[in-house]
Amino acid sequence: MTRVAALQGIGLSKTFGGLKAVNDVSFEVPAGSLTALIGPNGAGKTTLFNLITNLFPPDTGEVRYFGTSLSGKGPSEIAGLGLLRTFQTARVFPGMTALENVLVGAHRQVKSNAYAQMLWLGGARREEARLTEQADALLDLVGLSSFRDVAATSLPMGAQKLIEVCRAMMAKPRLLLLDEPAAGLNDAETAELAALLRAVRDSGITIMVVEHNMSLVMNVADQVVVLDLGSFIARGTPAEVQRDRRVIEAYLGLQHGAA
Amino acid sequence: MDQLTQIVIGGLVQGIVFAIVALGMSLVYRVTGIINLAQGGFCVIAALGYYQLSQVLGWPPVAAFVAAAAGTTVFGLLIGAATFVPALSRLPNSSMLMLTAGLLTFLQGLTLVIWGSQPYAVAPFSGEQPITLAGVRFPSQGPWIVGVAAVVVLGTWYLLTRTASGKALLACAENPHAARLMGIDVSRLTLFSFGLTALIAALGGIAVAPIISLEFDTGGFFTNAGFIAVAIGGMSSLVGSVGGGLFLGVAEQLAAGYVSSLFSNALALALLLVTLLWRPQGLFMPRRTRRLDVREDVRVYRAIVRFRGVRAAAVGLVALAVLIALPYLVGEGGLLSSLVITGILFIGVLGLDVLMGYAGQVSLGQAAFLAIGGYTAAILATTYDFSPLVGTLAGMAVSLVCAIVLSLVTMRLRGAYLALATLSFGLLVDSLTVGLNITGGPSGLVGIPSFAIGPYSFDSDISMYYLVLGLIVVLVAALYGGMRSSFGRALQAIRTDQTAAAALGIDVPRYKMAAFAISALLGSLCGSLYAFDFHFLSPEMVSTPRSFEMIAMQVVGGEGMLVGGLVGSALITLLPTIFQPLAAYKTLAEGAILVLAFQYLPDGIVGTIARWLSAEETPKPATAQLAAKGQAP
Repeated sequence: MTRVAALQGIGLSKTFGGLKAVNDVSFEVPAGSLTALIGPNGAGKTTLFNLITNLFPPDTGEVRYFGTSLSGKGPSEIAGLGLLRTFQTARVFPGMTALENVLVGAHRQVKSNAYAQMLWLGGARREEARLTEQADALLDLVGLSSFRDVAATSLPMGAQKLIEVCRAMMAKPRLLLLDEPAAGLNDAETAELAALLRAVRDSGITIMVVEHNMSLVMNVADQVVVLDLGSFIARGTPAEVQRDRRVIEAYLGLQHGAA
Repeated sequence: MDQLTQIVIGGLVQGIVFAIVALGMSLVYRVTGIINLAQGGFCVIAALGYYQLSQVLGWPPVAAFVAAAAGTTVFGLLIGAATFVPALSRLPNSSMLMLTAGLLTFLQGLTLVIWGSQPYAVAPFSGEQPITLAGVRFPSQGPWIVGVAAVVVLGTWYLLTRTASGKALLACAENPHAARLMGIDVSRLTLFSFGLTALIAALGGIAVAPIISLEFDTGGFFTNAGFIAVAIGGMSSLVGSVGGGLFLGVAEQLAAGYVSSLFSNALALALLLVTLLWRPQGLFMPRRTRRLDVREDVRVYRAIVRFRGVRAAAVGLVALAVLIALPYLVGEGGLLSSLVITGILFIGVLGLDVLMGYAGQVSLGQAAFLAIGGYTAAILATTYDFSPLVGTLAGMAVSLVCAIVLSLVTMRLRGAYLALATLSFGLLVDSLTVGLNITGGPSGLVGIPSFAIGPYSFDSDISMYYLVLGLIVVLVAALYGGMRSSFGRALQAIRTDQTAAAALGIDVPRYKMAAFAISALLGSLCGSLYAFDFHFLSPEMVSTPRSFEMIAMQVVGGEGMLVGGLVGSALITLLPTIFQPLAAYKTLAEGAILVLAFQYLPDGIVGTIARWLSAEETPKPATAQLAAKGQAP
């Protein structure tokens, strides 16, 4: 059965000054799967995310999203197509509460235009109520309900990252790119995150995750893609990748063999 | 050829002055990341101080020079210690910029109070006779100016590159947190740099005083020239400041000499805009790219005030009832007509709040839209006999087009660069209102009819009051709905993190343009009503100081709340009316209010009250709830 891959990277490269951050990387993310992108620091994982969302354009190569090329599309256009991402250092909006932050994510879904909102017409009011319910449900899912009216930037980093995830979820994405969602979470919280990720994937959303937390990756990922120094070095199931010699070499000093 | 040489010489001399001011601004910018708009004010105070000592009190020139420069430096240190340095750790960059604008206003007000508004002529240091060298004439003050400039440039260069303090200064600019961790006393160094730039400004001001006409608002002229020079040359570069200053000086003199002085103003601003768009880092600096995948490091963010629900509605209704009854409590007369002006100006401030308070786009040119709206409507109503309503709508249409163009042109600019671009737009409109014939020039337009809708003419103060009040209620109600739903949230997202906003699907350029359009439309409406209410319109009523005044109204009242500006407008408009003796001190008071409001009332008056009234509802920092949950943040 050949379904269109959710995401395809074809020969992507990006050089900054003298540094080749991403070097001819190709990969495929099957629809409905959870793919983990791993590699030592400096491997080019976040740069790859930035290329996918066209934060800056690749020097060579192309990204295809459910078959459509993303070349030349701006970040907001890409988000409008249902490709949402979070950032490595949580970028919640200061000056807004946790709830308001999550509601910003709904931007893509909002039907009523500015004029209807200004006149506070019935349709706009009802939509606002509906979106607020959804946002509350998401915050409840990640255990942050009690912080709904708190200034988002005053929360610990782990909570801010969860708010970012909720915010991305509000946009009803087809593909979700999460940049180190487990950073700053303790073991219990990481287990909750794993459950959340599985639930999101099971609801039909394709996920691609950059992560350093190996136990999380091994637990939830369907596919693992490994980068090192900007180049692709391995791909496969978590078990396969764990045994791959090239991967073990790249991670020299960290875990060897089975966890 | 001889004339060309003379003009170029004149341009170079001018340019050296610009370079000195630019150098001071560049120094503060390098240490703090803030453009110090108060720079020009210190130039004037030093120059007038020198005048006072040497020509009024008869001191010998050298003594007067040293005393004036030293006195200004001490004064600068005091002001910096009281305002600039403490505020630096508490305010975001855009507020700091406005704080320095407030300081400039304060210094101009001080100058006005002490020396009045007449021009002063300072005697040149070495006699009136121009010097002739190789067949070219220099003003006798020329060598002095060059000499002072050389001392300043070399001294600054030596300080920054050869001394440990200099390196520490540069470290502060790069990363104040890291600098503190290295044991560098950032506050002391900031104060030191502030005092140093006051000294630089003083030296430059005194040296150039003999060749210009010195008035209380010449400070604004120096500041404008200085920041244009530093923006063109490169804000972080010594060479840039000097190069930019000289370039600007020569370009302006050539334009003034061969075309007209109106053209030379416009040329300076066009050069600025071109530089900001084509090479924003300045002509003499290498391009510096910014990382987009990490949020820009901003020092401070505004705290959240949320005042909604039944209590807020009750307060709102009471306030509205008072406003409706106000004319009967106050009676006809000066106070009522001032209230009308308060309301009219608030409409312009409301637009500014959408653009600056919500979308976070700094605009120092709001008065330009007042001018466009006011003059379009007035000209159509007087010369062409159009009805005031049509004139007002036409003004709004013209303003809308200008706003769209301005927004497109400045789309990539942020922070200080955006502020400069809007300021230059405002100054451009200023020079057009003064220079064009159709606007009546400096004396303005007279005989503007009252505002009228159809056959009904709003002749009396009372009728205008209720018209304006009605408009305000409608506008606030319409904007309120928009601001508290996804439109408003999108603007607020853009204010703090454009990249993250775009990553969520928000079409950032479109929203910025919408915010600009709203501010322009309301500014235009404000300007038109102002003209019809006053039956007279002159450039001073709608020029750049008005832009700063409106920002002061917004900040004092409270940003990001829509109605905050009403209190600010009332305070700033009514204060001199109620206390007649204060009228002469108006500029001084305005500057002081702006500075103090930024420092001690970051939420503004309405914001502070709202915060107090909504104590239970206000978002608390998470630490309280986390502690309750038994977790540490």
